[in-house]
Amino acid sequence: MNRNNSIVITDLLLFIFIVILSLVGLAVLYSATNQNLDIVSRQSYRLLFCFILMLSICFIDINKLKIYTPYIYIVTILLLFFTVFWGHDSKGATRWLNLFGFSFQVSEILKIILPMTLSWYLSISDDKEIDIKKLLFSLIIIFLPILFILKQPDLGTSLIILICGLITLFLSGLKTKHISFIVISLLTIAPLFWKYLLLPYQKQRILTLINPGSDPLGSGYHIIQSKIAVGSGGFFGKGFLNGTQSQLEFLPERGTDFIFAVFAEEFGFLGIIILLFLYSLIIFSFILITLRAKSYFAKILSGSITSIFILLIVTNILMAIGILPVVGVTLPLLSLGGSSLLSIFFAFGIMFSISRSRRS
Amino acid sequence: MRKSNLDFSRINAEKIFNNRFFILLTVLSLLVFLILARLYYLQVINFKYFDTLSETNRIKYVQSSPRRGIIFDRNNVVLADNSSLYAAQINIKESTDIQKIIEDIDKEISLSKIEIENFYEKKNKYAHLNNIIIKNNLTDEEIAKILSIRHKHDGLDVTASLLRRYPYKEITSHVVGSVGHIDKRDLLNLDKKKYINTQYIGKTGIEKFYEDILYGVPGYRHVEINAKGRELRDIEKKSALPGEDIYLTIDINLQQYMYSLLSGYTGSSIAMNPKNGEIVGIISSPAIDPNIKLWKYEVDQDEINKLDSPYFNRTVNGLYPPGSTIKPIVALSGLYHKVINSLDEYYAGPFFQLPNRSRKFRDWKLDGHGMVDVKKAIIQSSDVYFYMVANKLGIDKLSSFYRYFSFGSLTGIDFPNESQGILPSAEWKSKNIGNKWTDGDTLITGIGQGYFLTTPLQLVYAACIIANKGIISIPKLNINSKPKKNDEILKIENFLKNNISSEDWNLINDAMFKVVNQKNGTAYWSTNSKKNNIAGKTGTVQVYQISQNDDRKDDKEIPDHLKDHSLYIGYAPSDKPEIVVATVIENIGSGSKYAAPISNKIINYYLDNIRNNFE
Repeated sequence: MNRNNSIVITDLLLFIFIVILSLVGLAVLYSATNQNLDIVSRQSYRLLFCFILMLSICFIDINKLKIYTPYIYIVTILLLFFTVFWGHDSKGATRWLNLFGFSFQVSEILKIILPMTLSWYLSISDDKEIDIKKLLFSLIIIFLPILFILKQPDLGTSLIILICGLITLFLSGLKTKHISFIVISLLTIAPLFWKYLLLPYQKQRILTLINPGSDPLGSGYHIIQSKIAVGSGGFFGKGFLNGTQSQLEFLPERGTDFIFAVFAEEFGFLGIIILLFLYSLIIFSFILITLRAKSYFAKILSGSITSIFILLIVTNILMAIGILPVVGVTLPLLSLGGSSLLSIFFAFGIMFSISRSRRS
Repeated sequence: MRKSNLDFSRINAEKIFNNRFFILLTVLSLLVFLILARLYYLQVINFKYFDTLSETNRIKYVQSSPRRGIIFDRNNVVLADNSSLYAAQINIKESTDIQKIIEDIDKEISLSKIEIENFYEKKNKYAHLNNIIIKNNLTDEEIAKILSIRHKHDGLDVTASLLRRYPYKEITSHVVGSVGHIDKRDLLNLDKKKYINTQYIGKTGIEKFYEDILYGVPGYRHVEINAKGRELRDIEKKSALPGEDIYLTIDINLQQYMYSLLSGYTGSSIAMNPKNGEIVGIISSPAIDPNIKLWKYEVDQDEINKLDSPYFNRTVNGLYPPGSTIKPIVALSGLYHKVINSLDEYYAGPFFQLPNRSRKFRDWKLDGHGMVDVKKAIIQSSDVYFYMVANKLGIDKLSSFYRYFSFGSLTGIDFPNESQGILPSAEWKSKNIGNKWTDGDTLITGIGQGYFLTTPLQLVYAACIIANKGIISIPKLNINSKPKKNDEILKIENFLKNNISSEDWNLINDAMFKVVNQKNGTAYWSTNSKKNNIAGKTGTVQVYQISQNDDRKDDKEIPDHLKDHSLYIGYAPSDKPEIVVATVIENIGSGSKYAAPISNKIINYYLDNIRNNFE
């Protein structure tokens, strides 16, 4: 009884943390869009929808979710298929699918669906050991959607999704020799990839990371401006709505990929510490849920979601401060955009569902 | 046994999971520490560096505005071009203390109070501009003085810009139009990116209508600048593409002549080549020199629409009842609908009465015209005869026939803000006035009065159809524009050519010829020179209603603003027309006294002096 109570309280706290971060996100977005209330209110509606989605998923039993998993995977693959052939373009890539009047980026949701499917596949058999047959089948599950996304073409997202899948495999006890096999084969493929598959603009992004000054107005521009924004924020920041980099529109993609730079410029190092603290509160709740998860499926899935959630935050920030190339990863709960928000809240819903299943 | 094996497998798997989860979390936390370290490096250690960078962060985008296209008349005479102009300007986004800068400039070249006021007003009004001019038209000495204090102030600079010049001043001001400062109203439907560094935009006339062609494509430079805002080097550069020149159909000699005839009057006159729709002369009076307006002050859009303003363009926006100039068209309609024929005579007395009504519809001539046929009715401009024709036709037939001559619709000229006037019909009246159409309304519509309103451009368009015997020419001002007749126009043209007999066209033509060339014609005395075979029709439009039993007052007793409008349409030579003219002079008196002589002078001047130059 006592234990149940404490679970309810931690769930409630988690919910409150999510609400707070969402509100912070709206405020930063307001600044990043030059006080465009129109965009902010549209994002609020999306948030509201996502909260409803999260709450409805949270009331589905985790074992039921497990049974649905393969079907969800198949539907996602179909949607990806439609995206490739009937999707619409944005900046030279076909990433968006129009669904009931909403533009939707299917690859975003895969960041959660793929680990979920792998967790399902690796937990159905009684024997939890991953033999070569299981490994091969898992790789098929991973690479099937990735092939579609590469076709779009969206290399950054493909890589992120690959890593999401590998995280689940890793957590499920992938054998050390298999790990080294995968790492070695990826390392061998990489140069071939560079030579034959990377488009010039993708190469440029990686090269400018090494030396952004070489092309200050082209692809290095994003990195330089973002670094200036972050650095000039200083310890206390320039204050809300006072970021010159963002308000004067030096900073590109302020609402989406580089929202962290807007935050860093206006709230400074101190603000970032507080932001990361808020994120870590959510992450600690996730870790608690993972450690206490009852079923093997729930454990791997929650572990994967926890790790992926951290990974997305880390990747986005590393991008904004010029350590990783610009790969188009959004900052969870802060970046503008419906698809990423939807997949994050889908994950939140699953976490709550897993947390509920621990109560007796 | 088996079960415990599985339990073992599961417990083992969970153990592995916990192990792996811990490894993963450790790696990710290391990344978080990497982030924190990096942020500390960027935001705390290197704060000063990045702060300066952000302060001086300028890879500036500078736009250069293109040279505006030149406007010529048909013989390559310049009607609008650009002259270099040096101005002192302040970049309000870069300069810190604007007041101090202005004080310093004042010390060097002494600014007038108005110049300073204008600067602040513009600063508030044109928020999209970075650079605002403080003093225009600098002399060489002033340029040197400004340059000598430039280094002291960020954002102060001398720029060369092109100022629009209109050498023919008020003579071409309405047709060529002018450019003006871009204001808030322009910004609403403007590609702002194209106009970042541009101050002027076509506001009226050809300058407005052909803005896209005249403007050109701006060039740009990405410039690296230092902390003080000085330009260091171009990183990327693309030069501007000058706007295209435009050649108008106007002949400046005729235009000058027409202006001299109309100056002093309030009115307008249009001369058009009926063969191709080229407008060879177009004047609206009064007019104002646009060069002054560019300097001193700006024209409000409302000012342009004010009736007594010199900015009001009467040729396309002045609305007048067509008066008796409409009679040839009513006659054509009557002949076409067979309510009259060319031989029948009719007693046109001093007034017309509808059956069983007491109201008298008077003729302009006190004792009427006696027995008249249709030709004589046009020559002498009998009102009573056309009351009769209108009454027999009824408003529906009359109105739809008028429509063929562009009344109530746009002529399609390449000129902005053309008015379409009012073509009265039963439907129009119930919609706009609310009352039912009466037979009396039909009568006065039949002599071009009442609700009927047309522009001088519509009059010349209609006169052109009569001159061409049914062939329509769409008026145009750009010599290279090729106006296309749409389906509607083609349908009308087919109707006019095929359904109206050439006898009827010839009859109207002959009647209009006799208006000018037969002793009892209303325009006989309007020209001494009969050699050009001018055909025409006068019109006199009452501005106020004479009460029906009152005798007409003497002209001298009527205040100016209630005097009649004087109208005339004419073309020549009547058998093979080369020029069509429509003239309206406001509040002056009869058509035969003012509009007719002016128009016929224009026609003669054109045929005697201009036409030959074309060939």
